[in-house]
Amino acid sequence: MKRLLRILLLPCALVLLMGADNQEARFQNLGGKIMCTCSCDQMLLKCNHVGCPNSARMIKELRANVQTISSDEEVLNWFRKNWGVTAVVEPSRHGFELLAWILPVAGLGFGLLLVLFVVRSWKLRTAPVAAADAVLDPHLESLRARAQRETEI
Amino acid sequence: MPLLGSFCLNFALVLSVYTFVAGIIAAVRKDAFGFRLAETARRAGMASFVAVLFAAGALVYAAMTNDFSVAYVKEHSNVALPAAYKFAALWSGQEGSILFWCLLLSAYGFVLRLRHKVDQRLVAMASVILAAIQVFFLILVTFVARPFNVMPVAAADGNGLNPLLQYPEMVIHPPLLYLGYVGLAVPFAFGLAALIMRYPGEKWIQITRRWTMVAWLFLSIGIALGGHWAYNVLGWGGYWGWDPVENASLLPWLSTTAFLHSVMMQEKRGMMKVWNAWLVFFGFMLSILGTMLTRSGMVNSVHAFAQSGIGPWFAGDYGWTGTPWRSLPYAYPGFLELIFAVCLFFYLKNKDHLKSENNLESLVSRESSFLFNNLVLLGACFAVLCGTLFPILSEWVRGYKITVGAPFFNTIMVPIGLFLVFLTAVGPLLAWRSTSFASVKRAFAVPALISLIVEVTLIVVWIRSGIKFWRDISQIYSLLAFCLSTLVTATIASEFIRGGRVLKNKLNTNLVFAMYHLTRRNMRRYGGYIVHFGIVVLVVGVAGLAFNQEQEQEMAVGDKLQIGHYMLVGQEYTQDDNANYRSEAALLDVYKDGKFLTRLNPERRVYKANGGQPNTIPAKWSTLREDLYVIYAGLNPDTGHPIIKAFVNPLVNWVWIGVLIIAFGTGLSLVPNAAQIAVKAPQTATVAAVEKQAMQPAGVGK
Repeated sequence: MKRLLRILLLPCALVLLMGADNQEARFQNLGGKIMCTCSCDQMLLKCNHVGCPNSARMIKELRANVQTISSDEEVLNWFRKNWGVTAVVEPSRHGFELLAWILPVAGLGFGLLLVLFVVRSWKLRTAPVAAADAVLDPHLESLRARAQRETEI
Repeated sequence: MPLLGSFCLNFALVLSVYTFVAGIIAAVRKDAFGFRLAETARRAGMASFVAVLFAAGALVYAAMTNDFSVAYVKEHSNVALPAAYKFAALWSGQEGSILFWCLLLSAYGFVLRLRHKVDQRLVAMASVILAAIQVFFLILVTFVARPFNVMPVAAADGNGLNPLLQYPEMVIHPPLLYLGYVGLAVPFAFGLAALIMRYPGEKWIQITRRWTMVAWLFLSIGIALGGHWAYNVLGWGGYWGWDPVENASLLPWLSTTAFLHSVMMQEKRGMMKVWNAWLVFFGFMLSILGTMLTRSGMVNSVHAFAQSGIGPWFAGDYGWTGTPWRSLPYAYPGFLELIFAVCLFFYLKNKDHLKSENNLESLVSRESSFLFNNLVLLGACFAVLCGTLFPILSEWVRGYKITVGAPFFNTIMVPIGLFLVFLTAVGPLLAWRSTSFASVKRAFAVPALISLIVEVTLIVVWIRSGIKFWRDISQIYSLLAFCLSTLVTATIASEFIRGGRVLKNKLNTNLVFAMYHLTRRNMRRYGGYIVHFGIVVLVVGVAGLAFNQEQEQEMAVGDKLQIGHYMLVGQEYTQDDNANYRSEAALLDVYKDGKFLTRLNPERRVYKANGGQPNTIPAKWSTLREDLYVIYAGLNPDTGHPIIKAFVNPLVNWVWIGVLIIAFGTGLSLVPNAAQIAVKAPQTATVAAVEKQAMQPAGVGK
């Protein structure tokens, strides 16, 4: 089983590790997180319609920032500062907005703890249930087993 | 007509209040009088459906006959509007859509009360709860959002329907979505009724499961049709934008999906009773939240068709009153808080009734896979909820609304979705109670090998095609999605083949016929597998998003635009003018690898009503492999030449096919099992043993 899992996970891990970045990929990625501020409600790189007062300038600024600023978050902060907080469609990774990122993970973590707690409490209750099972009618039990077998879902 | 409509609504409200009050008295008094009272309550509930139906009919009639003395009709219809859209005006605005909610709720109630012999006491209590919900919505349409308000002077023409809604799917998408939303009221009513009554046994959950599946089916198709509409109307080349209202429909879908899985644990093993009760409650509360988000204008959305200030009726109103130095807090609970309080009260009162009958025997079992499945589904639900409501939270805390868009949801939801697909592969291989690792390994080996081969093949093919997928996280996710989808398909196929082989020997027939019989003998299980397969097909379609291409260009007659294998050549540009709209259109010849393929006709309409709102009508060349999607973006004011935007969207049709398979599988799961096929020849011990083994999941026994 472990070997099987390793075989399955190795290519996935290799593929993930291959996720090396370059400037063009960064530009495309960040362009997908910034919204054009011309009220067209489109992402920056999609709003290249003729006559747009903002997108050409914003795209130029994004390209320049990708070259000069190494951190993606700083590039996004630059746009938040210069074009308003609504220009970036992703919550910031610091301050109050960090909460948006933490909450889903914390929710999952809490859920996992809850599941583990439930499993543990079930495990602790196993003994009395087994004792109760012992007094059941064997004929009834065989019928129940057959029903379960035949209606397996 | 407005008078008749208003009268019917008032009458429906009176009937619903009677159903509620008489139902409660009947539940308290368990004598002959109580029984007779319950019967009158049941009939009043059924009559309320007829009254609401007449009210809705009156509004549709007013729209059809251009009765612009009715303010709602004036706002959402006009003379030139085609008849189908006049009908759709019923749910195009705030007041009409709440009336439509009432209509569907009373229709569900009508069917439920008609089938009261399933279990008279349980249905009577569920009917009371449905009546309470109906009273709330009827109060809204009678006093707050009135669809039959009359204009002081009748207008000559109306404002018309929002152009975005003038699309054939808009005649069926909202009703299906609403059927899903409203349908969740029925399992909620049964769940709460069972809790209030301390209903013995699991019969209520069997009744509830069917109703839930019906609501889930409608919700699934409704969501998919919404995506299809967005793809064909909004003209941005996609079908899911993580819009708050889209998210609102996804929330009850996710929680109901969790319920449809965990309910099996209660039916089979008497476990997770508390969990299931709360899933049913939350499913309905999320559907109310969805309705509120769609209608209240609390969040910015493309669905801003019907917004008003009814939010406090749903979510309550909280704040401070008075001057800054002598302020007092105030809190008016809304419908959502009320529902939660009622559920919590009866849960605390009767929680001993929800004790689990069995315990988890092993972590490697079907039970634990359902637990994790529920954890991930609800985690996904919570993540979507956080992202959707975070702008509101941000406004409360920081004083401004931030934007939470697709990048956030994609970052959070894609890994969760991939993990769910993985669980879909593993879950069916585990047996109830306990499974040995050796059995799982045996059952998992072939599907895993197939999946690995597909992954390696894809990597080789992509590298040879020059796709540097390792540079783009979305393409890496896409690769994982293809790999996991293959894994799920292989496990489903192995389940069908294994069971089919056994029946093939038993019935002395071919494998296909044997698999057909296998499905007929356990529609729920194998229908479920088909639903899983539909999900896989959908995931493959979504994985294609990572390879979308896009190109925009100004095109005079004879100009060429190259995108992927396709070349578009401008042939002609036309203009048209009719009573409803003015339009500009392009005729473009499409060549693929140098060969003529088709002629596309993208269009841009400007509707005369609604203040001249423009609307794009994309043109598509659609195949299983990809869509060529072309938009007429408008004229360049400087040159007078049209601007054409083209997309190549791979595998989009797989999404719609996946949804059809899901609908088919759900339909199958709702069909009762066929009777066991009689076997004439006496069975040998070997055949019986093989059969026993085959009818169990692969990993049964330690």
